Amino acid sequence: MTHSMMPERREGPVDPMPKSPHPLEEGGGPRRPETGSPDKDSLMKRMRKVDPKQAERYRQRTGE
Amino acid sequence: MRLFGIETEYGITRDDIPEMDPVVESMELVRAYLEASFERRWDYAGEDPHEDARGFRVSGLQQDREEDEFAKVDAHRPFSFHDMKSDLVLPNGARFYNDHTHPEYSTPECRTIRDLLAQDRAGERIVLRAAQRRNQTLGGGHIRLYKNNTDFHGHSYGCHDNYLVSRAVPFPALVAGLVPFLVSRQIIAGAGKVGTEAQESGHVPGRYQLSQRADFMEAELGVDTMHNRPIFNTRDEPHADRRKYRRLHLIIGDANMCEYATALKVGTTRLVLNLIERGVAPDVELDQPVTAVKQLSRDPDLKAVVRLKNGRRLSALELQECYCEAARRELAGSDEESEWLLNEWSDTLRLLSQDRSQLVGKLDWVTKQWLLETFMREERIGWDDPWLASLDLEYHNVNPEQGLYLGLEADGKVWRMTTDEAIDEALRNGPSDTRGGLRGLCVQRFPDQIKSIQWERIQFAGGLRTHDFDMGDLFNPQEVRRCMDVFQYAHSPADALATWNHRKDMET
Repeated sequence: MTHSMMPERREGPVDPMPKSPHPLEEGGGPRRPETGSPDKDSLMKRMRKVDPKQAERYRQRTGE
Repeated sequence: MRLFGIETEYGITRDDIPEMDPVVESMELVRAYLEASFERRWDYAGEDPHEDARGFRVSGLQQDREEDEFAKVDAHRPFSFHDMKSDLVLPNGARFYNDHTHPEYSTPECRTIRDLLAQDRAGERIVLRAAQRRNQTLGGGHIRLYKNNTDFHGHSYGCHDNYLVSRAVPFPALVAGLVPFLVSRQIIAGAGKVGTEAQESGHVPGRYQLSQRADFMEAELGVDTMHNRPIFNTRDEPHADRRKYRRLHLIIGDANMCEYATALKVGTTRLVLNLIERGVAPDVELDQPVTAVKQLSRDPDLKAVVRLKNGRRLSALELQECYCEAARRELAGSDEESEWLLNEWSDTLRLLSQDRSQLVGKLDWVTKQWLLETFMREERIGWDDPWLASLDLEYHNVNPEQGLYLGLEADGKVWRMTTDEAIDEALRNGPSDTRGGLRGLCVQRFPDQIKSIQWERIQFAGGLRTHDFDMGDLFNPQEVRRCMDVFQYAHSPADALATWNHRKDMET
């Protein structure tokens, strides 16, 4: 059945990288996401540019 | 099909001055969106946050004292209350204004998830455009805006989802049916947060949790929204004919960047409301819902169980499955959108328990966790590194050149359910089948004749008298479309109202 609401996936997240099993994953429990790398040439670079103290400086008044 | 909408308060910063005045900056940001000068038009008559859906009116809210203190300070400013609020109604029927020192965008009322997503994304672009214009005035990219819910110092601001509900539904049934659903909804709709905090208290780094708002939930029921926040807000402000309707005003939700998460957050809530209206919501009652909402949020492995009143213990996944199965039994085949929601809801719950990697780009908390864990491996840092809270914040930055989520979107790594064309259309027009679109049409066609405006009413000036257009019971989509036709082609609001009232008289 075709649904017009069905989202279009432009691209899969990433090529999964080998990962070691997490202790909590043993025994058939929930698994963590496949933690492949985001695009290192753009997003990782963008992440490294974020000031580590950005959140420390960030102050807001309480809203609703 | 019911109406729904989302209000989003954005975080705002300015980095070229030592101490930002949030009142001034939020006001200036909203006004920067205007092509012309600001004119006071919003009508606050329909707003009374003291009315409680439990059948009484409270004499005061916990936030009133703090608001009074701010009012004393604000009294010394060179502008009025209306100036500070700078309430705008946009050509798409949305409201854009300064709410409690946060720029807030409220979508017009929507009838379909597709319209709601486009209108919510249009809101991101509207606040971004306002920031760009403000930055031009300031001479640099000093203003940043965040679609999130915390400042990591114990101050939260909201993203509220709203639903039109028949007043015939008993209020206790709404509470009983919704609370366990809302407490567990965060496994789908949580935006993810690094660390823990509490109202007005500092941030404790180190733990990743599902939700930004769970830390700030302090009561099961209540009319307050800024302190002692409840899982189920009892504010009785219907913005519609009070005899027939309620507005369910949910303040527990996070602001989502993922379109898919927004779709499921609002869509599954709509389905659960349908179950409640039919009297077939699952019979589950949490023993301690406020404890449960925090407990479930702080367990990204989804192993925690919470206790029910009858002594059973269920996980968040099991609670959601309970609702999803009831919805599947009762609502399958209702309409195309419900069918899609039922399929995606059960699929998401299955993937959460079996293969969460497939939800990257669909659910915010999963996407953010994946992004941060990748970064931690690359940089060899742990969850207690303060850098991660900053990255968490930047995930929600609405500037496509800076925001981490929007960077992922640009790389094609997230699910899109809107198109840029649909968002452009949502910037111009509201939904064609709700009073939100009709409100927007009035703003487009008769901007100079609007004397006052709010969700359910527009007052037009003209000649020697004013003309009231009441939309408090205008929810039938066919009727809305007929009314829009009248306003589209009328020479004046007075002509439109005369024609519309005549037609209604003929029909009755």
